[in-house]
Amino acid sequence: MLRVATNLYAYRELMITLAWKNIALRYKQAYLGIAWAILKPVTLMLIFTLVKSFVGIESGDIPYPILVFAALMPWTFFQESASDGVNSVVSNTALIKKIYFPREIFPITAVLTKLVELGINFIILAGLMVWYGMMPSAHVLWVPIILAYTMLAALTIAFVGAAINVYFRDMGQALPVLLSLLMYASPVIYPLQLVKDKLLTQQAAGEWSNMLYTLYTINPLAGIIDAFQNVVLRSQPPDLTAMIPGAIMISILLPLSYLYFKRAEAYFADVI
Amino acid sequence: MPIIEVDHLTKEYRLGAMQGLKQTLLNTAARLSGRQVSERPLFKALDDVCFSIEPGEVVGIIGHNGAGKSSLLKMLAKISTPTHGSVKVNGRIAPLIEVGAGFIPDFTGRENVYLNGSIMGLSRKEIDVKFDEIVAFAEMGEFIDTPVKRYSSGMQVKLAFSVATSIDADILIVDEVLAVGDLAFQRKCFDRMEDLIKRQGKTVLLVSHNIRQVERLCSRVILFDKGRILADGEPSPICDHFYEQNDEKVRKDTAAKLSASSKGESSGDVELLSVTFMDAEGTPIERVEFNSDVTLCATFRVGERLVNPIFGLGIHTVDFLYLSTEISENIFENRTYEPGEYVVSLHIRNFPFLPGVYSVRLGINTGELTKNIFYQEGVCNFQVTTANRYRTQSMQEGFVEMKGEWQLKSLA
Repeated sequence: MLRVATNLYAYRELMITLAWKNIALRYKQAYLGIAWAILKPVTLMLIFTLVKSFVGIESGDIPYPILVFAALMPWTFFQESASDGVNSVVSNTALIKKIYFPREIFPITAVLTKLVELGINFIILAGLMVWYGMMPSAHVLWVPIILAYTMLAALTIAFVGAAINVYFRDMGQALPVLLSLLMYASPVIYPLQLVKDKLLTQQAAGEWSNMLYTLYTINPLAGIIDAFQNVVLRSQPPDLTAMIPGAIMISILLPLSYLYFKRAEAYFADVI
Repeated sequence: MPIIEVDHLTKEYRLGAMQGLKQTLLNTAARLSGRQVSERPLFKALDDVCFSIEPGEVVGIIGHNGAGKSSLLKMLAKISTPTHGSVKVNGRIAPLIEVGAGFIPDFTGRENVYLNGSIMGLSRKEIDVKFDEIVAFAEMGEFIDTPVKRYSSGMQVKLAFSVATSIDADILIVDEVLAVGDLAFQRKCFDRMEDLIKRQGKTVLLVSHNIRQVERLCSRVILFDKGRILADGEPSPICDHFYEQNDEKVRKDTAAKLSASSKGESSGDVELLSVTFMDAEGTPIERVEFNSDVTLCATFRVGERLVNPIFGLGIHTVDFLYLSTEISENIFENRTYEPGEYVVSLHIRNFPFLPGVYSVRLGINTGELTKNIFYQEGVCNFQVTTANRYRTQSMQEGFVEMKGEWQLKSLA
């Protein structure tokens, strides 16, 4: 673990340069430049708001558009980090075949790159908060921790996925499908409170209710999205009971995912 | 202590296409249930290779395509992992495996210098310091803020070479880069390489098909063949050996079939049966000894009466540079050859061409027509050899012996 950290520190300049490369490459020759980064969450927010107007989703005392935007920010960050991370090794074939540095730099850089786009979304969020007259509280200090945890969750998928993708490109194809399914299993369109009410308060699934809720929160995104909304919009600390099952899951899977990546890495250049 | 130690290094690759997910799952299932699974055959790119390199050595690595040179470099640069054995490198490696790896077409020259530099392990500050020198060496001053995709390939390579050699590494791996750029830049690269080698005492591994270059720069040469080390030591004898091997291969490869690029025409009246060389005793030979007497014979079948034929027999290089042609004008005049088989022969005294691989062209026309009734290039490839060791390097000293006489006398 310590070795991993020192290794990463030694390659920090390279990671920064590669992240800058990813961003510059993506927006070079694009007239709107980095403004494209906000396109996805903003459009989804508009669509969900429209849908909500006929479906009716209880959003509590927070206006629905800003609630859904605050859910879309960590979600899009996670989703794009994971899928860019999975494709990061294959899309750097030229480098993989020509030069050596620890290969985990590719997925990590992919995730770091997405931080920049996330930062731009914070500007939109701030704008929305001003619009709705909401003041952030001291709880926003939780945000860096929540985002760091989101990055770990994205890396859990990125490491194993990137390694598999080298051998079977099926991974790159299947992942977007799986991730869009995961979005519906995460409290993006609806707040976590709805699930909580249904299962914990109303015991809607009978004796299975508590177990189902734990199962639901094994998805780390459930805790992450709820925590993000809590600290930014509701001026509350994160709901730790919703985060613990996911955190346990990540702390088991991330090391496994990383070890698998490191084992497969030796053959990347031969197979890719 | 050696700077590079390669110990019983073996690298195997699986032949054939990668299996898809479905096939892999099926195979795994089959293996689990104890059934036999047909494995794809293995190919040994490197086979039990051992050597070590001391600091400051300049080692040339030569061999035919597929001999394992690039696999070896990849193993040294840690890009690929050995199947068996080990590679130990005690120092920082600057890989030049195909310079320009990681150049991004959309980026400007400046951005690529920074990107490429940091990929090779330079910090931003180090690049800042070296930037002007890199650009000056590459002669790219006015283009440095233009995207690399608008560069010519020569310009890209110049910039890449400049970045790669500015890295302060202990070991430099050079893979076929000196053959690029215009002549003036090649000269500059060569000088920089010599500077790195001679003055800075770097360890260099040079992979090249330009044997002359290898012979000049290197203090040691390792010859690879089919994944094994065939020879390791002094450059000159190994390079000579490689040249000869090369010639042999060219001759064999091209002997079987006429080269696609060779020109030929035939009216159909004459059919060429064979072309052979014979030595002074009249026995057919495959190799011609330099400076010996040989006879070149062409056997052909005549289908329609041949009147006043004129023969042309010429020698050209395998890349179709015509070196010499003998024409039988006025020799077979006023003669008629009825249909049948004939041999035309040309006796050559003191065969003048220097060692190497050559080929023969044959033309026949008749006095009546200006057009050739038969013409074919590359009808017979042959190798010229010699026992004289000063003459073993094929085609480096030209093609023809001048038969000059030396004299040296004092003017006083």
